[in-house]
Amino acid sequence: MLRSASARGTVGPVRAREPVRSGYAVRCGVRLYYEVFGDGPVTVLLLPTWAIVHSRTWKLQVPYLARHFRVVTYDPRGNGRSDRPSDPDGYADAELVADALAVLDETGTDRAVCIGLSMGGRVLLQLAAARPERVAGAVFVAPAMRMDLGLPVPARWVHPFEEELDSSEGWAKYNVHHWRRDLGDFAEFFFREVFAEPHSTKQVDDAVGWALQTDPETLAATHRAPFLGDGSGRTEPTVSDLAARVRCPALVIHGSVDRIVDHRTGLALAEALGCPVEVFDGGGHCVHARHPVRFNLLVRQFGEAVAGARA
Amino acid sequence: MRAREPDDTGYAVVDGVRTYYEVFGTGPTTLLMMGTFPVVDGRQWKGQVPYLARHFRVVTWDSRGNGASDRPAGPDAYADEVYARDAAAVLDATGTDAAFVVALCSGIKWSLLMATAEPKRVRGLVAIAPGVHPLAPHPHPLQTVDQQQWCGDFAGWVDYHSDVLLPEPHTSKVFEDLVGWSLQTDAEVIAARTHAPLRPATEDAAIEMSRALTCPVLVLHGSEDNCQPPERGRRFAELTGGRFVVLDGVGHLPHGRHPVLVNTLIREFVDMHTTRSPQRSAWLFARERKRRALWVCSPIGLGHVLRDLAIARSLRERVPDLEIEWLAQPPVSGVLRANGEIIHPASAELASESAHWESEATNHDLHAFYAFRRMDEILCANYMLFDDVVRETPYDLWVGDEAWEVDHFLHENPERKIAPYAFLTDVTGFLPIDPDNDPREAELCADYNSEIIEHLDRFPYVRDRSMFIGDFAELPDAPLGPGLPRVREWSERIYSSVPYVVPFDPAAYRRPAALRRRLGYGTGYPLYVAAVGGTAVGRDLLELTAEAFALVREDQPDARMVMVTGPRLHVDELPDVEGMEKRGYVPELFEHLACADVAVVQGGLSTTMELVAARRPFVYFPLANHWEQQHFVAYRLDHYRAGVRMQYAATRPPDLAAAMVAAQRSRPAYRAVRRGGAAKAADQLATLLRR
Repeated sequence: MLRSASARGTVGPVRAREPVRSGYAVRCGVRLYYEVFGDGPVTVLLLPTWAIVHSRTWKLQVPYLARHFRVVTYDPRGNGRSDRPSDPDGYADAELVADALAVLDETGTDRAVCIGLSMGGRVLLQLAAARPERVAGAVFVAPAMRMDLGLPVPARWVHPFEEELDSSEGWAKYNVHHWRRDLGDFAEFFFREVFAEPHSTKQVDDAVGWALQTDPETLAATHRAPFLGDGSGRTEPTVSDLAARVRCPALVIHGSVDRIVDHRTGLALAEALGCPVEVFDGGGHCVHARHPVRFNLLVRQFGEAVAGARA
Repeated sequence: MRAREPDDTGYAVVDGVRTYYEVFGTGPTTLLMMGTFPVVDGRQWKGQVPYLARHFRVVTWDSRGNGASDRPAGPDAYADEVYARDAAAVLDATGTDAAFVVALCSGIKWSLLMATAEPKRVRGLVAIAPGVHPLAPHPHPLQTVDQQQWCGDFAGWVDYHSDVLLPEPHTSKVFEDLVGWSLQTDAEVIAARTHAPLRPATEDAAIEMSRALTCPVLVLHGSEDNCQPPERGRRFAELTGGRFVVLDGVGHLPHGRHPVLVNTLIREFVDMHTTRSPQRSAWLFARERKRRALWVCSPIGLGHVLRDLAIARSLRERVPDLEIEWLAQPPVSGVLRANGEIIHPASAELASESAHWESEATNHDLHAFYAFRRMDEILCANYMLFDDVVRETPYDLWVGDEAWEVDHFLHENPERKIAPYAFLTDVTGFLPIDPDNDPREAELCADYNSEIIEHLDRFPYVRDRSMFIGDFAELPDAPLGPGLPRVREWSERIYSSVPYVVPFDPAAYRRPAALRRRLGYGTGYPLYVAAVGGTAVGRDLLELTAEAFALVREDQPDARMVMVTGPRLHVDELPDVEGMEKRGYVPELFEHLACADVAVVQGGLSTTMELVAARRPFVYFPLANHWEQQHFVAYRLDHYRAGVRMQYAATRPPDLAAAMVAAQRSRPAYRAVRRGGAAKAADQLATLLRR
């Protein structure tokens, strides 16, 4: 019963902190809903991750960080109050990088300390490499990157996504037909994997609730989109190439028992960036939600170090 | 003794004037600890060096005019620009391309001038009380050494000047250090520096130079600084874009009076600006952590460790999943290791307290209070190590058995407490040895006591448990100082009493004859055993005892003596006496003392109390100027009606021989030692570890 889906939708209407400003950045007709909290010379941009959740995934960060920084969040295309294009190309990494820049522009933010979670870490790497003048510092949280590390194929890629399967057990739930039948069932399973730690029921309930704010077809489009290292044979830089172009201070944070992105990925990225890495021993994929105090303190420390650093 | 010796020393030479430098530690990042106005030398950083050198390479130097550097004549030799060249020459001489600079007062100007000349050499600047004088006027300029009233009275000026720089209470040791360093130079040098050409000379130049500084800057400034107005610090921070930290209630020398805070800020600042090197740190999800305690055990004598082992064993019975790590140094760490305990690897980096005590002791005389006071640098270095250790590993409990450094600095910096903390002791105050002839000692003891009283009253949450080892009736009823409570009354308020912890079952020693047979001594003759514990302090006492034993043999020809010299004294260093066997080390020393007809020992608490528990006759010699042995131990033994107390200086061999023979014929009627001390202490600790 602890993890019964009946507990979904427990996200209350009252937030710990309301935005001082909200609105939409519009790119090629796609509206991106953003929120701005707090005030101050240093902005922290909390990037969205996979559209299975939206900006409320940062709900335990925003109230704290906004007391120390100006904080900007936005919903990814595909969830929350942002639009949901149907074409998979609309969810390509290049679009997601451009979305981040559009939100920075729309909120009048020249530079920001950017935090990228999971897929958002992949977007952040490309953003920081392409537009170094906009990124004052980069924090990669459980970054989802394809690197040549000889790691096992992630479980979510094991079963064919487009084919009707005999089974809907375990990672076989990561399948478009199953999503169409019962997206909530997949989300429930997925977030239990995300939150590998015991006593994570509230985090799972929250995330499942956000997942149900999008729809199977939109989520399938995000799955079908091209991304860095997808093996499509396009000519593109490697993670190491991009890391070498990052000039800002960086930090990697990764849980040691992450079942979605092996934490060796985070270690390898930190090495490529030449930056410190903070391992949350016993932590899963979303340490920001499960271990918010430690996470928040690290981000504040990092943000202040970046703000205090002079050329 | 210093807490850490330099790895390299030498001189940098500018225009024929030599500047002495010292280098500590290694690593890619160098910290240059700037010289300053020559009332001090490089030792002003003694609270910083041992800590910083564990993390960085650290270079200190003596400003010309003081320390081991030359003392040229005339104001021009002490110009700001000259000092800046000295600093650069020290960097050259030590093969340092660039460094983070930590500077105080005038040292900030020299750092600015050096950075102006060679911007790349200064990677960052920690500016403590920056003395960039044109940035703000001084409301009450200090008196200079050549003012009328100080003419011919350099020592008077030094007292005045040192006093003005240290407005904080409980600053007597920093003051004494400062006076000592100032008296290493003279009025001519200080006057020459006072009238030296100053740079930057104008406000415009100071503004321009400060703005041009490109490195990161951290400014620390005491609100009560009488030497440099805090406005100078604020303005310097503003102009350099640096971080400005006001230290409220603090004077001109925060690094001396508040070393923990300053050390932490320096380290954070340097770390923040050197983070490009990859490093991995880990934080363990709280529910996955093992239950773990860090035990800090005082290395003075072996008494603490034996009782700590007994308490730790009882604690493990109550909390079976508890893992205990010990922060301890020789000889204590050796005992722990022999008992299968885990020594925290950082223990190897502890500055040696035992070596300090030995360096302070001569002729069975150790002025324990002054020696303790002079251990300030070692205590600070060892606290900083503790502070690092408890931040690297999350502990569920800290135990400090007379861990004075931990206790003092936690109360000075209560925000550093991040775990339950229990403090154990068998001595609860400083009592002067000779208040009639040494009023300063009495004054200082009272000052130390009042500081501890204030600490415990103001921050009751720092110690979660305070345990006095023994009954309160064993405490002397002496005052802690004028206007202060008495030892016993205050201790009853602060501490809970735990029966004296005897590290063995006294019943096992009730039949000495059996023990003598087991140890191969046999029976039927008077057996004397003399031992002095783990240090070389007792050599004089052993020599006296050997002579006395020769006299005992005249009276008792069949008497034998076993003399245990301990690991730090070689047996050959003592005379040979008929019937006396010399042994360097015996395992289970106490068994040998317990089967003696008479034991001859020092006035240390553990050994004497073990003899009380085993009900053996003994003669003991408290160290002459040892406040604990003369007051606390003597009082406690009197309470138990045990032991014959003798003073080394007043004892000739025939006196001791007579006392030994008399003791051999006596029947001890000691008060019984209450039992269960270890279990009671463990009960209290266990409540901090589980419900």
